[in-house]
Amino acid sequence: MTLFFQYVLSGIVTGAFLILATIGFSFTRRVEGFLNIAHAELLGVSAFTTWALTNLAGVHILLSAVLAIVFTSLVGLLIGRIVYDPIRKLGPSVLLITSVGVAYVIGGVVDAVVGTGIRSLDIPLAESYRFWGLRITNYQLVVVVFAALAATSLAFFLNKTPMGLAIRAISANPELAASRGIDVKSTSRVTWLISSGLAGLSGVMLAVIATLSTDIAFHQILQILAVAILAGLGSLYTVVIAGLIVGVAMDVSVFWIPAGYRPLIAFSLVILVLMLRPEGLAGRKSR
Amino acid sequence: MILYSIILATLMYGAVYSVLTLSLNFQYARGGMINFGLVAYFAAGAYAYAIFTQEAPSGLDQYLFGFDLPWYVGFLAAGAAALLFALITGWPTLRLRGEYLALTTFAFAEVLHSFLLNERRVGNGSVGLSNVDRFDPTVLGISDRLGYAVAAVALMLLTAWFYNRLLKSPFGRSVDAVHDDELAAQAVGKDDARIRLQVFIISAVPIGFAGALYAMITTLVAPSLFTAEITFFVWIALALGGEKTILGAILGTIALVLFQEVVGSIPFETSRAAEVAASAEEIITGILFIIVLRLRPWEKLSRESGA
Repeated sequence: MTLFFQYVLSGIVTGAFLILATIGFSFTRRVEGFLNIAHAELLGVSAFTTWALTNLAGVHILLSAVLAIVFTSLVGLLIGRIVYDPIRKLGPSVLLITSVGVAYVIGGVVDAVVGTGIRSLDIPLAESYRFWGLRITNYQLVVVVFAALAATSLAFFLNKTPMGLAIRAISANPELAASRGIDVKSTSRVTWLISSGLAGLSGVMLAVIATLSTDIAFHQILQILAVAILAGLGSLYTVVIAGLIVGVAMDVSVFWIPAGYRPLIAFSLVILVLMLRPEGLAGRKSR
Repeated sequence: MILYSIILATLMYGAVYSVLTLSLNFQYARGGMINFGLVAYFAAGAYAYAIFTQEAPSGLDQYLFGFDLPWYVGFLAAGAAALLFALITGWPTLRLRGEYLALTTFAFAEVLHSFLLNERRVGNGSVGLSNVDRFDPTVLGISDRLGYAVAAVALMLLTAWFYNRLLKSPFGRSVDAVHDDELAAQAVGKDDARIRLQVFIISAVPIGFAGALYAMITTLVAPSLFTAEITFFVWIALALGGEKTILGAILGTIALVLFQEVVGSIPFETSRAAEVAASAEEIITGILFIIVLRLRPWEKLSRESGA
């Protein structure tokens, strides 16, 4: 039974990471109105920037993490301005398909610069803490803490600051918001910075807890999509619950069936949700 | 000699992928459905072909079924398997629209991929089925590759002809009617959900046949051959060639395959150089895709020639 709870615990950590990875994706969907498949590639950008700074340039891990997050949010902003802004009027389907092209470009650049092979960050080995027979490492705790921090500060930002109010207004009705004098350009810039910054943060977490290979981004998008659909596309608060459900379901399934089936569990969940409750857990009709 | 082999490979793979692009064109440009799981029907066809023609398992084989039937039975089974999979996946999902449909089809494709990768009793898991039985073109007195290039082109032409006929038929007009104005189509008694399902199922059959042909060409079916990359590749080809035209879909696909074959045939001194070239190919493909979607040159052209 202890083993079972160990799987639940590691599922919660997986869930926390998924929350971090998905919240930026759902934020983009909410404000910009489309599914950005390239979001996961930004995780890869951030993870490999952290790796390069720490392992190759010898920068301290904390500094390189901050630099990687800043760099990733600038890359995301740049892509948003250059690629997505000019075609926004063509509708969400074209934006969705275009983001596949963007994913190709980013993936190709990362491949070309980094090359194939498996890498891991040069940081001290994880220390594990024991309680009630369960084990958790300090790095896993860091992931959980950052997920909680990111989710609460995003909620605070959206609800308590003028900029957050402007972003919510734009996501509800862009034309009306613009006619009431909200600067659409600058809010869009802030949106890109935040969502890519969140991708950057989760990329750093990925570098800390996982071994890195260049196809890592693609595996993330599958799970991000699963969480985002379960939460209901574009809703932010249910991402927390959805992330935990997907994370725990995937990790606990290992208790009964081979680990190779983890993605299958995530996607069976998605198909089930889409058939029974297409609007996701949030329950908002957003077609 | 290199030129000849590039042309032959381009024709062969270009024609096989063209069948996929044509089917996607039918689903997306006419039916208005975003299918992000195209590769699943392709894989279903290829696996069905391999399973029906494979000898019964022996030695280290872990698969359970091998019917050892002639290639044409396998070919028909491939079409049937794709149709069946389209029915299973299409029936529950087609009431979803737009991005929800895109995500569900994508999810179904990933589930199938994961299943084939992990379930050894169907197709040996990640190892796949090798030495797939096939028709030998040398009995007709032509080389192996030439024979399959001709077969692929024939399948492509047949598919193009079939879609062309279908779209000009009354059924094709109801498909266009549902796509253009769903409410109006419903008002004159067209069952839009039924028509969408029919489009989805019909267009899966050629994809299944293409999968069988692909299995014959490579003589190997393995999960690593059927990844989401194929789906995205076909989407890029469709965007390159321009929506709504059969010729455009074919030309777009062949141009993209030609580009990949040319890059693939450049000899590299080091593996690092080959790696960089492969990434460059990916980057250029992505940039082309973004530019084509943004500038929409084909729509402008057709509007100008129409005016």
